[in-house]
Amino acid sequence: MLHVHGFTKRYGRIAALSDVSFSVREGEVLGLIGPNGSGKTTLFECMGGVLPLDGGALVRGGRPVGGRERASMLFYLPDQIVPWPAQTVRWAIDFTLGLFGGRAALREQVVRQLDVEPLLDVAIGSLSKGQRKRALLAIGLLMPHPLLLADEPFDGLDLRQSRDVARTLRSYASAGRTMFLSIHQIRDAARVCDRFVLLSGGRARGEGTIRELAALAAARGSDAGEDLEEVFLALT
Amino acid sequence: MRSRRKATTERAVAFLWLLRKEARELLASRAWWVLLFAMGPLVGVTFISAVRTYAEASGLNGTAAGVGEAFSPLIGIWAPTFSACEVAAVFLLPFVAIRLVGGDRQSGALKIEAQHRMPSIERIAAKALVLLLAWIVASMPAAAAVALWKSYGGSIYRPEVATVMFGHLLDAGLTIALAAVTAAVSEHPSTAAILTLSVTVGTWILNFIAAVQGGIWERVAGYTPPAMVAAFQHGLVRLDVVLIAAILIALGLTLAAVWIRTGVAVGRRARETGAWSAAAAAAIFACTFATPSWDASESRANSFPAPDEAALARIDRPLHIEAHLAPEDPRRADLDRKAFAKLRRVMPKLDVRYVSATSIGLFEQTSPHYGEIWYELGGRREMRRATTAESVLETIYDLAGIKAPDESDEPVFRGHPLAVPPKGAATVFYGLWPALVVASALFARRR
Repeated sequence: MLHVHGFTKRYGRIAALSDVSFSVREGEVLGLIGPNGSGKTTLFECMGGVLPLDGGALVRGGRPVGGRERASMLFYLPDQIVPWPAQTVRWAIDFTLGLFGGRAALREQVVRQLDVEPLLDVAIGSLSKGQRKRALLAIGLLMPHPLLLADEPFDGLDLRQSRDVARTLRSYASAGRTMFLSIHQIRDAARVCDRFVLLSGGRARGEGTIRELAALAAARGSDAGEDLEEVFLALT
Repeated sequence: MRSRRKATTERAVAFLWLLRKEARELLASRAWWVLLFAMGPLVGVTFISAVRTYAEASGLNGTAAGVGEAFSPLIGIWAPTFSACEVAAVFLLPFVAIRLVGGDRQSGALKIEAQHRMPSIERIAAKALVLLLAWIVASMPAAAAVALWKSYGGSIYRPEVATVMFGHLLDAGLTIALAAVTAAVSEHPSTAAILTLSVTVGTWILNFIAAVQGGIWERVAGYTPPAMVAAFQHGLVRLDVVLIAAILIALGLTLAAVWIRTGVAVGRRARETGAWSAAAAAAIFACTFATPSWDASESRANSFPAPDEAALARIDRPLHIEAHLAPEDPRRADLDRKAFAKLRRVMPKLDVRYVSATSIGLFEQTSPHYGEIWYELGGRREMRRATTAESVLETIYDLAGIKAPDESDEPVFRGHPLAVPPKGAATVFYGLWPALVVASALFARRR
């Protein structure tokens, strides 16, 4: 579907991303795994067009993806934002649906699945972190773009909510939506993702299913088995 | 064809959503309600004071009747009343604009909205449009002042009131554009506020330097917002002023659009800023040569009598004037306002040069040439010292070798004296308006 080719981003002397490359396949849930400060958010912001790249490109069908094509192809849901704090969740959903021409037919279903119904008439600025996360995920799922990039979708959610959200995300992936999720909790990632990109120190350390990554770790002399945490530690 | 129409419709729908969003964000902004609330008392103070002064000069409370014969509501009422709008445009409107433009970046909403294909200039245009409408709503107390004046039996000459309103609308447009750039460039609204106020204070300093130094400073200062507003408050609509204000507003909004974009390197934005600024500077320079102007004042305060204007317009040779007067010499201000400003409107080939060694002229008085005004037309030179409009006209007619036109028989403006107190104004501006604003704010919050 999309190839991230040689992404490089520097903040002054600090290299946030160094020649990061991997692929996103249609209909999969791809997890971006890495510790805090590994460059996950920077990678997402560069993919989403929020930050300018110093090098590299998004490639599709062998040619670079332009700004307009990117805008119709992927939707990036940032972490730690409180957009339109004075407006209600109901209005924010209406607005984003109207602005982006989103999937209005799915509105009731998404709102129910993410348990956003009780929050509809609450101002976004008054929501707790977890509530806000669910409201924003609802917006993300309702967007018309075939690829959804969500930065830390489980951050602020309790165990039950994390499981419910993981189930919901999987159900939309099964229906053909491609998801790319940045997750720092490896257990959450293992629960929801089909494949993984391991990021550490601004470099991609591996890409593939758990089995493929385990094989890669084994090739490097690790006996991590198919435990994602162990595989991650072995490869980073 | 159909796909293009569909794309246009989608674009229009997205823009309408953005307009609705900006309007809601405006209603949620405390800065907006503070501006709205303050406008009543601000306009009230200036209007009530102006009406009282006007009434006193017109003979109320036993003062000499007839003093107000030459009174024009433009100068006596509208200029001071609408000056409240100028104060609000400088000190309150920037905060409303910065909140609306910078709020998206602060909250992170920009990261979501910027993913829409819509060009950033459309996003800024939506904000500017809502802010301009907001300013028109905030100007309602000034409109109420016009209605009150009418109810007192005061004279309203529509072209001059419209000119003053238009001038203040342009001034608000400049403020909005400036605040939009600073909010787009700055990471934090407080930085944007400081930058905006710095530019405003900078224009004041420029005006001060111009008053002291004269020359090119004076020419540049003529296009600062306070000078522009002053021209409109005298009922003068100058094409160069309107064009330059429009260019500055367009430049401000364009630069805001350049800087509000996400995913673009700072270097590229800086280069684009330089290119747009250079283009605007060239356009502004070209506009300074646009000479048409319209005197919308009922008293023709910015014009010579019609026969003189007709006679002057027939002189097609360049007229050079060299006045040996210091910038702070009151005679120079008189000469410029009462003669040269009017002359510039009918003689595009006029070139005025001031000569002085000091800014106040106090120690130049003993110089034999100080106070001399040299006129040169068609190779002939003449020197006069008088600074009245009549003397200037007489000298020019002498040099041009034409006969001064006969005394005009057009009716002389006698003014509209009105000796009434500002009845009911305090209730409207200090009671009704604030109450209406508070009620509206509560209603908007509940929705």
